[in-house]
Amino acid sequence: MNDSSESTLAATKPLDAVSGTKRIQPVLPVFRQSRLHRLADRWSHLLFLACSLLVVALIGGILFFLATRGLAAFFPLAGNTGRTLSFSEVFLTTDWAPSSDRFGILPFVAGSLAVTGLALLVAAPTGILTGVFIAKLAPPWMRTLMRQVMDLLVGIPSVVYGIFGLTVILPLVSRTWLTNAPASGFAISAMILSVMIVPTIVSLATDAFESLPPSLDEGSQALGSSRWQAIWHVLMPAAKPRLLTATVLGLGRAIGEAMAVQMVIGNNPQWIALMRESTDRAPFLRALFTPAATLTTELVQELPNTAAGSPWNNVLFAMGLLLYLLTMVLILTTRRLGRGQEA
Amino acid sequence: MRIRILAQSVLVGLLLAVTAQAQTVTVMGSTALGPIVKKAAEDFMKANPGVQIAVSGGGSMTGLNQVTSGGCHIGISDVFATPDQEKAGVKNHNIVVQPFTLIAHPGVGVKSLTSLQAEQVFTGKITNWKEVGGKDQKIVRVIRPESSGTRAVQKKEILHDHDFTKDVLIQDSTGAVVNSVATTIGAVSFVELEHLEKNKVRVSGIAYNGAECSNEAVKSGKYPIFSFGHAYTNPAKLSDPKVKQAAEAFLAYILTPAFQQNVVLKAGYLPVDYVKILKTKL
Repeated sequence: MNDSSESTLAATKPLDAVSGTKRIQPVLPVFRQSRLHRLADRWSHLLFLACSLLVVALIGGILFFLATRGLAAFFPLAGNTGRTLSFSEVFLTTDWAPSSDRFGILPFVAGSLAVTGLALLVAAPTGILTGVFIAKLAPPWMRTLMRQVMDLLVGIPSVVYGIFGLTVILPLVSRTWLTNAPASGFAISAMILSVMIVPTIVSLATDAFESLPPSLDEGSQALGSSRWQAIWHVLMPAAKPRLLTATVLGLGRAIGEAMAVQMVIGNNPQWIALMRESTDRAPFLRALFTPAATLTTELVQELPNTAAGSPWNNVLFAMGLLLYLLTMVLILTTRRLGRGQEA
Repeated sequence: MRIRILAQSVLVGLLLAVTAQAQTVTVMGSTALGPIVKKAAEDFMKANPGVQIAVSGGGSMTGLNQVTSGGCHIGISDVFATPDQEKAGVKNHNIVVQPFTLIAHPGVGVKSLTSLQAEQVFTGKITNWKEVGGKDQKIVRVIRPESSGTRAVQKKEILHDHDFTKDVLIQDSTGAVVNSVATTIGAVSFVELEHLEKNKVRVSGIAYNGAECSNEAVKSGKYPIFSFGHAYTNPAKLSDPKVKQAAEAFLAYILTPAFQQNVVLKAGYLPVDYVKILKTKL
């Protein structure tokens, strides 16, 4: 690199001297000619490369770490100082009592899926419809206001939502609807989660609708469609891939959320067994208000307090690995889905 | 040139930090014991200027794990070391006595439970406060996660090693437990005495077999539920004699009558010597 640039410098100088005429010099950026800046250029290139490699290495490293610790639960690896568990007893049973040597994690998997599903059920339609409103229907002043509010909401830390749920929503629901029974459970957790992810979905959905070419809207209205028909039959399908992405990003935030959920869900790992024992006539309604647990809440609560290398600790890492893979699979499939729609 | 000066000063700083590190005793573990150990560290550092005591949390098991593997010099814990950890050579020092008490939502209308009633409340045999003389309210049991030291004490002392019922609410920390009990009608739980004293307005204490939990009741042997706060060291991993000396001096300081009487008592714990008078097994 040094050689070539020096040769260009050498080549331009004699040319001027020989011809003696005022030629229009090609405007070279100044920094090209300074050695220091050239070096800086090269190093910054390396720095950017290193940063991006670091991110890849981090993701790979986390996966590797989770896998070695998590799989130690099932195989007599170096990180396993206790009993080796079988896959079926961990993934297919519902009894979680690690101090009595029972390690069924099904309640947490089911809990994570249920709470995330419920949250999306509320948040996805709300978020997408709000997106339509902001992008297509709202007057300009309201559009700016709504956008700012949504950006603010995205930035609120989850623990704030959690405290709000714990100190305001839980006692309120318990007193008004449930005749003083505790309100902890899926319903409130999903509600808090949906409030948390709606802003994300709204922001992305608004972008999706705003990025659509105006010709779509105008064309359909020129053909005589109503506002509603244009939105429902033309804009929605056109924005579908990006709406899907918005939903999945919300889903990712919901499934990985620990703090807010942990504070309101009740954290009862035996919730499936409890449901089975109950003789309630409305089991679904009851399930909504039964203290339950998810993968993240259990990790937050137990991981710092278990002995490294014990089956208990290893199973918790296996749960972390499962969560990681679950999120990965969700993101990858949706990306594929989105791409298929776009084509 | 400027870069060189900068690099040199960073190096010098690092060197200084390393030499300072040689005198640092790291303490990790129980968040319940954290405040009192931090107080001890502050006083100890004032009296011994050359020594740094760094106290951080992480939980009882983290403290035990770390001290076993040599990750910290002293591990503080609410629970006893596992047999494996004892085999690895960790040494137990009892530093305080923690009394525990039952607490409930102020509206339950019950002031005292017998040991059998208390056991049945948590095993699920008793499900309504009216069965033990209170109001017609469903009992909501708020407990700590399985890995908690408090829960271990509760299972042993209150449930006499029976299993908890499945119908429970679980909260991550004692603070969250107290919050939950204060806001949930019919709630009952089990916490260290100091947490009841700090929250007397929001939750009410429940006497056990007619005895209300207090330092005096524990001291006189009337109130039977308490446990030790432990500090563990691992002599095999304390290779630096200076650090070893500092760590031992620090533990000795915590056990001095002055600290035990003036600080430990005020913080809602009991001095360790008290249990010498007590006849209860732990």
